[in-house]
Amino acid sequence: MNMLTGATGRVLLEARSVSKRFNVGSRIVPALRKTVHAVDGVSLQVVRGETLGIVGESGCGKSTLGRCLVRLHEVSEGEIIFEGRDITRLSRRALRPIRRKIQMVFQDPAASLNPRHRVRDVVAEPLIIHEFGTHSEIDARVVELLRVVGLSADHLERFPHEFSGGQRQRIGIARAIALEPDLVIADEPVSALDVSVQAQVVNLFQDLQERLGLTYIFIAHDLSVIRQVANRVAVMYLGSVVETGLTEAVFDHPAHPYTQALISAVPVPDPDRAHRGRRILLKGDVPNPAAPPSGCRFHPRCSYAQATCRDVRPALTRIGPHREVACHFPLV
Amino acid sequence: MTEATATDPAVPLLAVDNLRVSFRTARGTVRAVDGVSFRLGHREILGIVGESGSGKSVSLMAMMGLINDPNAVIEGSIKFQGRELIGLGAREMRRLRGGRIAMIFQDPMTALTPVYTVGRQIVEQLRLHTDLSTGAARNRAVELLEAVGIPGPKDVIDRYPHQLSGGMRQRVVIAMALSCNPALMLADEPTTALDVTVQAAILDLVRKLRKDFGSSVILVTHNMGVVAEIADKVAVMYAGRIVEHADTPTMFRTPWHPYTWGLLDSIPPISGARPRRLSSIQGAPPSLQRLPPGCSFAPRCQYRSRRCAVKPPMIGEPDHRVACVLEPGERREIVRKPAQQNDEIPS
Repeated sequence: MNMLTGATGRVLLEARSVSKRFNVGSRIVPALRKTVHAVDGVSLQVVRGETLGIVGESGCGKSTLGRCLVRLHEVSEGEIIFEGRDITRLSRRALRPIRRKIQMVFQDPAASLNPRHRVRDVVAEPLIIHEFGTHSEIDARVVELLRVVGLSADHLERFPHEFSGGQRQRIGIARAIALEPDLVIADEPVSALDVSVQAQVVNLFQDLQERLGLTYIFIAHDLSVIRQVANRVAVMYLGSVVETGLTEAVFDHPAHPYTQALISAVPVPDPDRAHRGRRILLKGDVPNPAAPPSGCRFHPRCSYAQATCRDVRPALTRIGPHREVACHFPLV
Repeated sequence: MTEATATDPAVPLLAVDNLRVSFRTARGTVRAVDGVSFRLGHREILGIVGESGSGKSVSLMAMMGLINDPNAVIEGSIKFQGRELIGLGAREMRRLRGGRIAMIFQDPMTALTPVYTVGRQIVEQLRLHTDLSTGAARNRAVELLEAVGIPGPKDVIDRYPHQLSGGMRQRVVIAMALSCNPALMLADEPTTALDVTVQAAILDLVRKLRKDFGSSVILVTHNMGVVAEIADKVAVMYAGRIVEHADTPTMFRTPWHPYTWGLLDSIPPISGARPRRLSSIQGAPPSLQRLPPGCSFAPRCQYRSRRCAVKPPMIGEPDHRVACVLEPGERREIVRKPAQQNDEIPS
């Protein structure tokens, strides 16, 4: 992993105040109609060559944000800038050359691979769509890709169901890197895998980054995995980024009370250091995103909350060279 | 096959001996559980750790008498409070289940029906296993919901499961499991579907329940961290067998089995130095239909030798047992060296 940071490198992708709203509830009865702000004014930058980790609990909007960045969802507000160009409202046709530069890896490889296609076809598909070359060039490229992700030419004619979960994720990764993208957005790519296999796939992501100079946005709920892969992290809560910073700084000295609680809740595989009840317990559950709390969205669960937190929503504010936090009373 | 705590003078709460569960399938017999033995004492929390296909869940289902597949063959012995459960009639098993033995599943919706309020479901359980009147059962249900930390239990009791969050549903299931003061609680990945902050709260709850209700708990999980936080003893399962069994501090301080080493090493640390690469176990867990002869872990083990061609017996000390042929001297030698980075060879 190289040590590129938010300030020194070239920005590859930038999100400016991106929001995504979904309409839920009744389509017929207007009174029952509701709007959920799944992503609510998120701004962030990804620098070429780095891994930005996006972490948060279920429903925090991290997956929706990832899908907005590749335009699998159309954003409701804000802009997405890729290599200095606003791609937010590009037509499908104009977007096509950009799509090959931004690829996605999904959580469940079983669901994202066509069960009726052989591995050869799965990996060749993007190459065919983007007119990579002749048949024999594509064949050679597919074999090469399989080798890169730790599979072999013997696997070409098999179907996805003949593989284990870890191998299926390798196929998904081979497809994602087929067109030599600049940016790979991985949405929970290891969370469906067994622990022993998870480490292999995490290592594969890191190896590929070194070999191919990839930039990653790595979305996960597992804090230990994020800490392992990311140079920088963004912590999300109820649709917004509440803290960003270099990985080590955020994990060693969290600035937002939510980040602190989240890290303290991770069970430690070491009985000498296990919390055994000494962790910071949050009150209640994540609130309903259709009716978020006033002021700071985290205040009803925050043990440091004061009167201001109920009324005024804190903006994401720079508190250090690579550090931003959205809290009236940050911990560092 | 005598197990670790056989020295305990009192009758253990649960004694499992040489449990085997196999399924007859069109492609031959699959042995999901292959000779599992252990003892569980009173007020003890045992963590069973394993990956998919390790047989951890099937073992729990067998203890619960929930395997009713006509093609399943269950052999061995499961003695609960001295009473043999294998071969027990459906009617008597039903009396135990939900009464003296309760179960918590990974997905709380498995245990709750969406069409009744949670109160009605708890009351039904209480009425079935106790002689409480409906009114008294309802009051007891409110108490139970309060005991598992549900805010506003009088209000929640009339809600339907879909109106509650995942963490709240799991609390309702735990309240239901507790309703008849079970001596034994079996929990199958109870926190896997939950967020980490909720998981922490549920683990605290399980600890508190052992204290307040005096239940013993068997908790099945793939998460070594969860086990370290909560269990008194740990059994590591691989391909249907227990490969290592020890009390929790021993298991984490001086693990003996190469699989346990691999599991512990593949967890990215949450503090301290970040390894440049994670050490990982090569390959994937084996298919139960094509188990290698001898030690099932051998094909993935970097310390395998010719000795591994024979199924290793459980050896070791009374409170730390392992199914591996490595001699204590060899183990110490390996542990002293830094973990070798195995370049990944997918199976």
